[in-house]
Amino acid sequence: MKVVVDGVTLDLPPGTSAIDAVFAAGSDVPYFCSQPYMSPIGACRMCLAKVGAPRKDRDGSWILDEETGEPKIFWFPNLMATCTTAVMDGMVVDTRSEPVKAAQNGMVEFTLINHPLDCPVCDKGGACELQDRAYEYGEGVSRFVFDKRHQEKHHALSDLITLDRERCIHCKRCVRYFEEVPGDEVLDFIERGGHTYIGTLEEGLPSNFTGNITDICPVGALLDATSRFRGRNWEYHHTETTSLDDASGSAIVVDGRTGRIERIKAGHHPEINKTWIDDGTRFGHEYADAPDRVRRPLVRHDGRLVETDWADAMDYVAARLTEVNGRDVGIAIRADATLEEGVAARALADHIGTGQLDHAPRPAGGVIAAGGQARLEELAVAGAILVVGDVTEEVPIVDLRIKDALRGVTPPSLFDHGAPIADLRLKERAPRHAEILTVAAPLRVDLMRHAGRAAQYPAGGERAFFHALTALAEGETPADGDLGMPLEAATAAVDGLRKAETAVVVLGGWVLASLQATEAALHFCRAVGAKPMLLGPMANSYGLELVGVAPSHARYAYGGMLTGAKALILSQLDPAIDPAVAERLDKLELLVVHASFLTATAKLADVVLPAAIGYEKDGTVVNLEGRMLPVRAAPVDAGESRDLTGFVKAFGEAAGQRLEGRSVKSARRWLKKGLGVDLDALPEHGGWAPAKRGPARVAVAVHEAPAHGGALRVPTMVRAEVLDRNPHLRAATGGLALGLHPDDAAALKLRSGDEVTVPVAGVPRRLVVRPSEAVPAGLATVPATPDEPVGLVPIDLKQIALERRALEVA
Amino acid sequence: MSTVADKPAAITSRFDPRYEITLYRHVGVDGAHTLEHYRARGGYRAAEKALTEMTPTQVIDEVKASGLRGRGGAGFPAGLKWSFMPPIDGRQRFIVCNADESEPGSFKDRYLMEDDPHQLIEGMLIAGWAIQATIGVLYVRGEYYVAYERMRDAIAEARAAGLLGRGVFATEPDGEGDEATPASPGFDFDIILHRGAGAYICGEETALMNSFEGLRANPRLKPPFPAQAGVYGLPTTINNVESFCSVVHIVERGGAWYASMGTDDSKGTKLYQLSGPVARPGVYEMPMGATFRELIYDLGGGPTEPAKALIPGGSSTPLLPWSDETLDLPMDYGTMARVGSMLGTGGVIVIPESQCMVDAMANVVRFYAHESCGKCTPCREGVATWLPKMYQKLLAGLGTRDDLTLMEEMVRNLRGTAFCPLADACAMPVAASFQHFRNEYEHLVDHGAPKYPTVSRWAE
Amino acid sequence: MDLPTLKPFFEDKPELLQEILDRYPPNGRRSALMPLMWEVQRAERHIGEARLHEIAEIVGVTVTEAKGVMSFYSTFHEHPVGRFHLQVCRTLSCKLAGGDELYRALVEETGLVSGETDAEGTFSLQNVECLGSCGTGPVLQVNDTYHERVTRTRLAELFAEMRAGREPVPTRERGGDNVSADKAERVDAPDGTSVDAPDGTSVDAPDGTSDEEGGVA
Repeated sequence: MKVVVDGVTLDLPPGTSAIDAVFAAGSDVPYFCSQPYMSPIGACRMCLAKVGAPRKDRDGSWILDEETGEPKIFWFPNLMATCTTAVMDGMVVDTRSEPVKAAQNGMVEFTLINHPLDCPVCDKGGACELQDRAYEYGEGVSRFVFDKRHQEKHHALSDLITLDRERCIHCKRCVRYFEEVPGDEVLDFIERGGHTYIGTLEEGLPSNFTGNITDICPVGALLDATSRFRGRNWEYHHTETTSLDDASGSAIVVDGRTGRIERIKAGHHPEINKTWIDDGTRFGHEYADAPDRVRRPLVRHDGRLVETDWADAMDYVAARLTEVNGRDVGIAIRADATLEEGVAARALADHIGTGQLDHAPRPAGGVIAAGGQARLEELAVAGAILVVGDVTEEVPIVDLRIKDALRGVTPPSLFDHGAPIADLRLKERAPRHAEILTVAAPLRVDLMRHAGRAAQYPAGGERAFFHALTALAEGETPADGDLGMPLEAATAAVDGLRKAETAVVVLGGWVLASLQATEAALHFCRAVGAKPMLLGPMANSYGLELVGVAPSHARYAYGGMLTGAKALILSQLDPAIDPAVAERLDKLELLVVHASFLTATAKLADVVLPAAIGYEKDGTVVNLEGRMLPVRAAPVDAGESRDLTGFVKAFGEAAGQRLEGRSVKSARRWLKKGLGVDLDALPEHGGWAPAKRGPARVAVAVHEAPAHGGALRVPTMVRAEVLDRNPHLRAATGGLALGLHPDDAAALKLRSGDEVTVPVAGVPRRLVVRPSEAVPAGLATVPATPDEPVGLVPIDLKQIALERRALEVA
Repeated sequence: MSTVADKPAAITSRFDPRYEITLYRHVGVDGAHTLEHYRARGGYRAAEKALTEMTPTQVIDEVKASGLRGRGGAGFPAGLKWSFMPPIDGRQRFIVCNADESEPGSFKDRYLMEDDPHQLIEGMLIAGWAIQATIGVLYVRGEYYVAYERMRDAIAEARAAGLLGRGVFATEPDGEGDEATPASPGFDFDIILHRGAGAYICGEETALMNSFEGLRANPRLKPPFPAQAGVYGLPTTINNVESFCSVVHIVERGGAWYASMGTDDSKGTKLYQLSGPVARPGVYEMPMGATFRELIYDLGGGPTEPAKALIPGGSSTPLLPWSDETLDLPMDYGTMARVGSMLGTGGVIVIPESQCMVDAMANVVRFYAHESCGKCTPCREGVATWLPKMYQKLLAGLGTRDDLTLMEEMVRNLRGTAFCPLADACAMPVAASFQHFRNEYEHLVDHGAPKYPTVSRWAE
Repeated sequence: MDLPTLKPFFEDKPELLQEILDRYPPNGRRSALMPLMWEVQRAERHIGEARLHEIAEIVGVTVTEAKGVMSFYSTFHEHPVGRFHLQVCRTLSCKLAGGDELYRALVEETGLVSGETDAEGTFSLQNVECLGSCGTGPVLQVNDTYHERVTRTRLAELFAEMRAGREPVPTRERGGDNVSADKAERVDAPDGTSVDAPDGTSVDAPDGTSDEEGGVA
């Protein structure tokens, strides 16, 4: 459609909003209420413009202007809010004439009358939409001589978000966000008219996606509590990178100041996380600056770990390794290491001459990088979705993209100025098509609220669940009880998957923990023609499989090397939390630990090397879709911490070898040769990883013991292993939870909030009791960590020890 | 030209041979709210005619022919609105009655519901048939408890009598051979009675729908209009109480009969409401285009004290200065628009000479400030916050001439910039008061005291 | 405020609850929000937070949303109002009939100002906006009942009743065409001829009835 904005002629698709036309033309109108990926509502009235359009006569021809002979423009009697006006063919938009300026001016004046203008002490100062628009479109003086509205200025909406009600300009972005994006309606306007304010009666904003409101708040009303009063916006160094918090590959911006990470904001990746991230990703950065961070290499002298430098430490490692047969050395790295680190680990193993190489946690079977997975964009438009797992905790962005699918609006096409400012297809309170979603889990999970069908199968019953579904799909009658939902519901779910043009089956960690369950699930996907989406355990599970950080034989897998190897090099793994493992590690000839903290394992080590964490690395990860995404280091002071490429470089220098993967650059040379990908030329939004083709090392199935036991290790949005070093998140979550059915808790005489210690799969866990109807009777839930991956494990509730009683509620 | 004092004394329109009472036939008659009373006087015959003898299209055509314009204030042609409904596609359709009468100066719908609830039910039934909506929604403002009870009981009576529910006016096959009329399944129609809880904004149709759905009553974005996405996002037509009641008579007596009354652009009869210091305030049914003089003097008995202005159609309509020319204006849509005001709900408020105009406008502004929903900036900050503060300042004797300029500019900024008409509803009367009575504002700021001190009009 | 032992309001009213929910189509469960609030408020003179939780759960919304809705409407009360909740209209037409003076008289009579409830919980006073009784102002709404054309004398009568613990009975005030033909006063027709109305002899009421006027239930 031909649209003329301030004299600039554009050709725009129907349905485009006038405000996007204005921006596409390079003009500008102010706006506060519109927000990409959310419904336009026309509330702030800032984007008013003079809008006109030609009209057609009864005979279908344009009514012509008698003077010019051109189609006559009929102007709307009032100025129009461009965010809620769709373009029409021949529309003319004028953003620069006097009436428009006067209206913009008037709206700025109205907006500011009750705004405190406390910019000098406001965290948003310097990055505030209101400040900028007031400067650009305001008069600079206020004629409002009365007392401004006084309201609460430091209202803790939760432990993570602070609300300043005086600064709020009622754009409703936050309220709409909760309704439209996660569907957790935990925030609303209270009162009306001039008394309207934002509030909640939901204690602590129960949603995994609350922090996004601090990004979209156009003023300093909603602030990230972890960064409040920590710095001014112009002091921050913004690093656009990829989150290593989970396998989604969400874009984030790390804001650092004087060598410290102050906050994390959502980045924009239109095909992954749009502009949203979960609270674990956003608020879970404080551990990077924890006081007990290992900042220098440590070498054991006379039984004590003593600070030294990398060269000294590596000389020691290289020398000691010569005393061990290379084949007896095990190397294991955590699954959020970058591709480049994976190359480094391989090079190190090759140099030492060991087949004992692995990454952990790692699901059985090497299926993650097998290809054929659904992309997030496909999930977001899927006509039928089956989820087995708790995606809201495991990879929360997947939860949000499923909710996109429920709303049935396809992702928008982008303009030069980015995602549409006002996507007119999006509506407040749009109906959600719950019937396309089936969610199955051994306990009640949050996404079930949005699902047309929910199945609660017995814990550990993933394989049986998929066998039963496959039986249904093949016209047989499945065994009773395996489905966890009525037969009709299961039939409808299977039919939905089979009939949908795009059908996606999301497989969470409980499925991937078992090779048989995974195979059963993939078989079912093939049977109904659905694409699987595999939620890899960590940020680069896909990439490390692809690069082949894997053992040469099943017995050399991570679990095997813990018992079989004589020397171990462990990066960011902490197996010594298990006392039995710790005992064995203590007897090793050499234990080298690359870690960020003095973990249980590091405490046993001969050498501890300070490890860079995700925000401090350069490199590449492959997300659960198979998309290679850039990881960029923020300028953070992490002492002498290095990633694995730095480790290998130092080791090579000590051993007198130039190893592949001794730097990001060197690793990329290898990747270009080995995988055919040029990571230096990675496009802005990442690129697709190549299909896995006969890698040099085969990821072998780990031995699978049948799942048993009374505890289900569950994924958590927050990283359980560092929760204690993330004080805000710890306060918000109340600590790591031992989930029990209320009857079971009562039988153990435990109350909500009691702190207990209980052995879970041999590892003593300190947990906070949280009785919940969501947990089936007879089952306990405990948070998973990289060293204690999701799955069913034994728990000894008889040995539960009460550490601290919760306060009695009167 | 006769002077004000010459006008004859008051009389109700029932006595005046110039007028025929239709809508208000039963209002004021005790016991008229019962089904028995209503049916005994021909009640539900119009509905029976519409449902058994007319197609929905014929009903809409009849309403179009009548020239009926919506009586809620905006005056949109009712028949045309009905024809906007999308083709029948299996989705539930709704007919909604806006009985959230809250515009200051308006009180006609309340009496219609209290004294003649069955007329409204019949009107909704006919409208439901016309647009093929099987569910009616009657949204009564929360304060109208008597009306709510009367409507509740009337709906129950109508249900019990088969006038609501499944198969309304269903017929058995009758006769034999060529004479036979086939059985008719009748029309399924029922009414959901919903009570508001004190929010003027619910008079705005989309805010009303939000309120009915259990949401905060913020107005919705238009388009989509209610015909496309109304109640629960489904096709909906919404009209005012008086409009539905008018439809009963249009169907009963024909669109042409209705169109024979009134003026060129405003047909039929209208319930005009008169309040302020007049001898006989109240609701009067008159043909469209009757003059203010007829209403205020012939029926209302004239002002009880000298007047200086009148508000023609509820407090949101710009006031007109009191003059013979004004009094002789016909009260119809076109004329009111021509003189820069609006017919609105037809709620005429007489403002006496002794009433300080600034004080009166402060009262009007306070109303809109109280009722602003807070959704959009100009209304929340201008109408609900700044403007009332300016009036407080003026009335406290602290205002300046600059303040008056500021208020005029502010009112200009409020015109046409807000999300819904509420800000205009506040800005327009204020602008009119500045236009006609700026001298009173100036007197107040210059002297620190109003030109007309407060007088008590409270009767002992 | 609300004790944890508070019995759910609708626990022993399953029929009422079902009747309210059944009013609305299956996709409109949320519409029951306001009717449920009305039930609670009429019984308890306010909607406490525990009730709000209960209602939110019944209709399947968060309690935050329920609060957002409740607080939007001016007749829902967060805190208990008095046994006689006095709502005085002071909008323009009532103001022109003495609404402001009526309010001041109420302040004097009760010792309260708008928004307050007395210590005994007998009276509470609230300024309200237009009640749609513009022709019969000033109007005082006591709980759900309108008392129109409240004169100083009438106000004294109302308080005598209320202080005696009785709900005052309204007298139905009428005006204009709200007075049926048989009740009309003796007046002069526009042509100057006298019309005998009160006994209904010279003018027939359109409906031909002559019912007696009575109070509103």
